[in-house]
This record gives sequence, C-alpha cells and structure tokens, in this order.
Amino acid sequence: MNQTTLINKDVNIVAYYFKNNARRLRCFPKRMEYEGKRVDFTETGLVHPTKQGQRMIHVFDMTDGTADYRLEFDAQALSWKLVYIADMRHAPVSGRLAPAA
Amino acid sequence: MPRYQADLHLPLNDEAPQILHIDLNSCFATVEQQARPMLRGRPLGVTNRLTKNACVVAASYEAKAEGVKVGMTFSEAKLLCPDLIMIETDPPKYHHVYKELTKIMRSYSPNIVMKSIDEGIIDVYGTRESVNQRPLAVIGHEIKQRLREQVGCWMKCNIGIAPNRFLAKTAASLHKPDGLDIITHKNLRSTLANMELTDLTGIAERNQARLNAAGIYTPLQFLDAPAQVLSRRVFKSVCGDDWYRRLRGWEVDDAEFSTKTIGRQFVMDDYNASEEKVRNRLAHLCESTGLKLRYKGFCARGISVYILYKTGDAWHSRKAFKSSFYTTPEILRRALLLFNQHPRLGNVVMLSVSCYLLEPSTANQMSILEEVNKERLLTEAMDELNERYGNYTVIFAGSLGADKQIKQKIPFGTTRYFELLCNRA
Repeated sequence: MNQTTLINKDVNIVAYYFKNNARRLRCFPKRMEYEGKRVDFTETGLVHPTKQGQRMIHVFDMTDGTADYRLEFDAQALSWKLVYIADMRHAPVSGRLAPAA
Repeated sequence: MPRYQADLHLPLNDEAPQILHIDLNSCFATVEQQARPMLRGRPLGVTNRLTKNACVVAASYEAKAEGVKVGMTFSEAKLLCPDLIMIETDPPKYHHVYKELTKIMRSYSPNIVMKSIDEGIIDVYGTRESVNQRPLAVIGHEIKQRLREQVGCWMKCNIGIAPNRFLAKTAASLHKPDGLDIITHKNLRSTLANMELTDLTGIAERNQARLNAAGIYTPLQFLDAPAQVLSRRVFKSVCGDDWYRRLRGWEVDDAEFSTKTIGRQFVMDDYNASEEKVRNRLAHLCESTGLKLRYKGFCARGISVYILYKTGDAWHSRKAFKSSFYTTPEILRRALLLFNQHPRLGNVVMLSVSCYLLEPSTANQMSILEEVNKERLLTEAMDELNERYGNYTVIFAGSLGADKQIKQKIPFGTTRYFELLCNRA
C-alpha cells in the first residue's frame, strides 16, 4: 500500500539550489547520485530539523516527480544519507482523484 | 449570591472581536502530504502503528470524502476506501510545523495559547492600537499566506475570529478546509441558526440528551434559554452558567490548569503476551514516565496502574506514599507493588502507568542514606547520556527491547513534552 523502500545509505548530493525563504537564504539538494543513477529533484516537500542526541540532523523530503525521497543531512559529519524511497507509481489512485505526475 | 442570579439578563457581547482561532486542517495528514508531494490528492490515513487494529489518527480530505473518519480502525477504513494509503506518524515533522505556526502567531501578539498540536489562539486584546491596526480578517489571510510560505504550499488552515474563544473555534469550523469566518453579536443568531447542537464544541450525545430533556433542540433555543434553566435543570452545576456566558460571547475558557498527573499508556503489540513480556513493557512505561517527570522538574508521591484485559475487563489500582520519588527504579518498584496484585483475568491488551500528587523536584536534596544518593547519581548520569545520544540509549535491563516496540508518539492533546519526545536515539 505504501511503496516505501528503506535504504539508509550515504549518497552524494552533486548539485544544490538556493532560495530566499522567510528572509533567509536556504540551500536545498537539487541532484543526487545513488548507485550509479542520477536523480534530479523537482520539488522540496518539507525541510525540518530533528535531533539525534545532541547531533542536529536536517531532514529533506524531496520528490523527482515519480517518487518521494527522504534525505538526511548530518550537520556534524556534513554527510548526506538517503533514508527511503517511496515509489508511488504502482500505488492505487482513487478514480475521481487526479493521478500522480 | 450564586453566579447565575447575577447574570440573569446578560446581553450579547457587542465588543469588536479580539480572538483569532487558528486550526490546521487534518494536521498530520496535511503535513505528510506537504512532505511527500506524491501523496497529494490521494486518500491518506495516518496511524500510530501500521497494524490492522490500529486506528486512524488523521485522515486527508480525500479520505474523508470517501467516508473515512478519525478513530476508525485501519481495516474499517480500508473497507470504505480500498485505495487508502496508510502511513505511520512522524512526530519531528509535526513538531517543526507546530514551531513554525507558533512563531507566526507570536509575531501578532505575545498572548497566544496553543490548545493542542494543531490549533492555537491569538488574543490581540491590547495590541490593536500598535501592531495590529489592520482588520483582523486581513491579518487572518496574512497568517494563511505566511504558513504557505514558511512551511509549504500544501498547508491550509481555518481561522475563526470572534469575541471569545468558544465562538472563535466555532467560526473556525464553519468552512473547512481553508476557511476564514467572523462571528460577532450581529451575525451570531444567523450563524447558530444553520447549526446542529452537536456542531458546538463540547456538546456531544450526552449533553445533547440533557438539553433535549429540557426542550432545547437547536443552538438558537440553547442561546435563548435562561441562565437558571441551564444551571438548575440542564447541567445542574456552574457549567450551565458558563454555557450561558459562552454562547453570548463572554470569555469563560481562559482558565489555565496545572499538571496533575504524568504518565504513559500503551496498547500491547501482542495481545497474547506472556506475563514476562507485560512486565518488560511496564518497565519501559516507567522509564518513560520517569523521563517526563524529571523533564518537567517534578517528583511524585502517588502512582497508579491501569490494565485492560482481552476479555473487556479492566483493573485499576493507585497508592499514595509518604515519601516522594522521581528516579526510574523507584517508579518501577512502586508500580510493580501494584502490578503484582492484578487479578489474572486474561491477556493484557492495554497497560498504563501514571504518577500523581506532583511536587517540585527534590533532586538537589542530598539524602542521609547512601543507597538513595547512589540511585540519584545513577539517574542523573543516565539522563545526561540519553540527552547527549538520544532517549533510551542507556536503559534498565528490565525494559530491554521494549523501546523497539513502544515507539514514541506525540499525542494530540498536549504539547508539553515536544522537545523531550523528539530526541531520538
């Protein structure tokens, strides 16, 4: 029902984009390289901080238009981790609702 | 003289509205749809645990359109809406949205009250001359815009504006989703004329039956009922007087309540769990209760344990002690004293531990007993480690493994432990 695949592996973010949000310049991942594949993100869902003990982890929920990706940026180790991919292509879509892109 | 006699002919409050009630629509589901764009436009349910007996804690508007309601079990919801997508709650996301909403609200008035994780009140009384000179409806639309900019484009909220909190909440529920309504003394009667008694917050089946017994069948009749009838015949308490004032736009809901109990409950992950497993879950609940108790700077003198059996029977026991306690081993020892007395009426399906008779913490007070000091130092050391590396990094052996089953969830009602609960390991 919820096509989520847990990955939990370090990935490379090779391109970023910047946006002025609430009077602060903020940085978001744009392109990710994972297992030899390149994923271009088209939209940022939600960015929120979370704590792992005293470590600050920034969670980025991103989409490339076909699947949702959860990325975590460890502000101490400066590393990116791909937590899961939720591929909704095969998930059911209600008849009277707009289909996914 | 009783209060209701003084208010026999209280008029409608004709002051300009000063209260804004902000309510996020289907909060958890909307935040999930904001975070995962591929879920937008799909029927979505959010649950605390992905099992068929777990209930829907939030449903998206698409799911609600198919008949899914909050409180249904997953299997019931799936029958109504076979395409329903269920996902587990993710507290840090809601915590972030809550913080952003609070930040926005606080920029309009220092007097804000968060009623729960998804709704809050801005009282602009006293700020109209300086910061909030614009009409409140304009400010309301600005709040909606800022929420979309600061959290995300999918976020929607209802805003109600009225002279008191009750009418502001009523106004916020008139046009879901994304509504903005104002109730004043001028449109109060016309607004209530289009509502049912159970549409009013605080009036469910029982109160409706009480009102019906006194010949009150509509909100307008409720509004027109004399204070004496409400106090003496309907509610038979001061509640009737409160309702009389509340419906007329006078403030009665601004009372603040102190923390009376701190505890935790858990619906068993295994309905056929052995006694050993139940004790393991109990130990974890005690650990969690101790964490909350110390976080709030309290110690307790009383403890209660509640058990619900598979047969439908329930058992409850409570005990007050002369000495206060706050360390996990102390809580567990006292909880076990009660737990050991429980009648074996079948398998346990729900377990709850709570501490009461709360007092300011005595953690700084050295004891003359060496054993007590050792326990205090051990607790302090464990708390420090757990704060640095995340909750439940170091735990007592009795609760080993339970933290994997008892996941920390944010309840709808309280926002008191957000920072504590979001510190994952």
